[in-house]
Amino acid sequence: MTKFVLKRLGVGLIQIVSLMVLVFFLIRLLPADPVARFVGLNASAEAYAQAEISLGLDKPVLEQFKIYLLGDEQADGLIHGSLGNSWISGSPVLYHIGLTLPATLELILLSFLISVSLAIPIGVAGATSPNGAVNKGTLIYGLFAGSQPEFSWGTIFIFLFFVVLDVAPGPLGRISPLTEPPDPVTGMIVVDSLIAGRPDLLLESLWYLSLPVLTLSFVLTGPIIKMVRENVSQSMSLGFIQYGEAVGLSKKMLASDSLLAAVAPTLTLIGILFSFMLGGAVLIESMFSINGLGQFSLQSVLAMDYPAIQGVVIVISSLTLLVYLLLDVTQALLDPRLRA
Amino acid sequence: MNREMTADSGSTDSSRLTRIEAVAIVLTAVPVLCAIFAPAIATFDPLAVSDAVSQPPPALRELPSLIWGVLFEQLPAPHWFGSDSSGMDVFSRTLYAARVDLVIAFSANILSYIVGVTLGVVCGFRSNLVTESIARIADLVQSFPVFITAMILVALAGRTWGNIIFAMSLLYAPIYLRLTRTEALKVKARGFVEASTAMGNSPIRILYIHILPNSLGPALIQFSVTIGFAILLTAGLSFVGAGVNPPTPEWGAMIAQGSTQLVLGDWWVSIFPGIAISLTVFGFALAGYALERRFET
Repeated sequence: MTKFVLKRLGVGLIQIVSLMVLVFFLIRLLPADPVARFVGLNASAEAYAQAEISLGLDKPVLEQFKIYLLGDEQADGLIHGSLGNSWISGSPVLYHIGLTLPATLELILLSFLISVSLAIPIGVAGATSPNGAVNKGTLIYGLFAGSQPEFSWGTIFIFLFFVVLDVAPGPLGRISPLTEPPDPVTGMIVVDSLIAGRPDLLLESLWYLSLPVLTLSFVLTGPIIKMVRENVSQSMSLGFIQYGEAVGLSKKMLASDSLLAAVAPTLTLIGILFSFMLGGAVLIESMFSINGLGQFSLQSVLAMDYPAIQGVVIVISSLTLLVYLLLDVTQALLDPRLRA
Repeated sequence: MNREMTADSGSTDSSRLTRIEAVAIVLTAVPVLCAIFAPAIATFDPLAVSDAVSQPPPALRELPSLIWGVLFEQLPAPHWFGSDSSGMDVFSRTLYAARVDLVIAFSANILSYIVGVTLGVVCGFRSNLVTESIARIADLVQSFPVFITAMILVALAGRTWGNIIFAMSLLYAPIYLRLTRTEALKVKARGFVEASTAMGNSPIRILYIHILPNSLGPALIQFSVTIGFAILLTAGLSFVGAGVNPPTPEWGAMIAQGSTQLVLGDWWVSIFPGIAISLTVFGFALAGYALERRFET
């Protein structure tokens, strides 16, 4: 098992390093002029040259890469665990990521919690009633929700629940702008208000998160229901389930047995969706004014803040890799055949 | 044998359309037709600003008389879907936006399909250092965070149609490459390829007449699904302001523009393009499912 984990970690590390190298050179290859963006269009030639030097862009690209990797007299490099300083704010990129990542994690973890706990029973119900309306309904719902743009449904939900029915808060962030948020420990307001022992803040943040989480859960349940439904109905025709059916096991027992067989592909799908959402959450974040990692990457990209862009890509891919690794280990624990 | 077979209408007659297939055809054909005939259907110039700002669409009960008036009494057309905060006609913009989104989605997919299938079939047929590296690079590209990568490529290269298409082609080509490579590996091991080799056909000829046509299927089914992805990505990029430049009519940009007025109760600017994109991507998802059912049983 240790060997298995180490092997996966090794492959993942190579992947992150190659991605890091690729992103570094790719953004410098694209025809963008971050210096002009930095000093403004009407800047003098001297100001332009000055900025180019202060951003380190006057040096050859390979030299820039060396500094990014190993650092120089003024700043730490990647090997010291530093992702550099943002060109816009001057603060370390890691500080910005530490500030924004918890908001994204809070949003997508809650959404996944809700989607998975809803999607599994619904998918199983769809698979275990081969010809009924439930079967067709779950099929169509899975295809529909799985294809939908979350930003369009976000507007629909805001209009319906905030403007018309007035039962949900407006798209103003994770907590009312007038409320003092709890002391940041994890950065996730839901968790922090628990730590601070403030149930009122917990309820308020959950209330403010209700619409973004509803929107994300709506699009996430689609593919998960589809996956559970397909795999359970496939494993229902496997030998051991048919045997169980023949000897008269209850429908419930058969369903839970076939669900076990469907765990592996469903876990893989959840991993893929999770890594997609780490970056893709930017749509929901900008709609509901949540200051998350997606928003930070959007601002960095639009400002052509190279160190911040590199940092975001490295952090998202590392998190993705970590999620895949956890899923692989879980699957290997469940199924000894996978420990190759 | 899969129990799912019974989920559809149950008809085994393959010449007849199932209900899902019929719905898929309608939902994909309508936006395509709207895109082609947008100039003929649109009632306003999609970029023309006017004084009639933020007008709601006509009430449902007035619709019959309005339609009658426009068709038979030569009355000027109202803003069927209302107008936005610049006084532009939402109906005409929603129609023209189908052009932008579908042209970008189809171009990106055709490009990545050609590149992906060509490389995939070669990578599956021949195994050497070059083809193995191509396959590894494709794997690496597939591990990119999709939305962020697209954002970086488009924003840094310039927010033009061409750059959006290139960025998406780069991200989608590996999908086609992988599917085709897997299929080509399977086809390569089959009897008729061996027989063809034994008859003395050149590898190029075998690749062209046996491997290629027999490896196209999965990528073609994927095509429909990926069109949906591409529409969502195009609209998503424009929604966050990293896609096509306003005031180009584009569904995502229109939804974003309307969402600022949404809280004031002006729902029509966001909701109509939202319905258009929802139904279109659902259509392509259904089409993908229907193709899979028909050809991969």
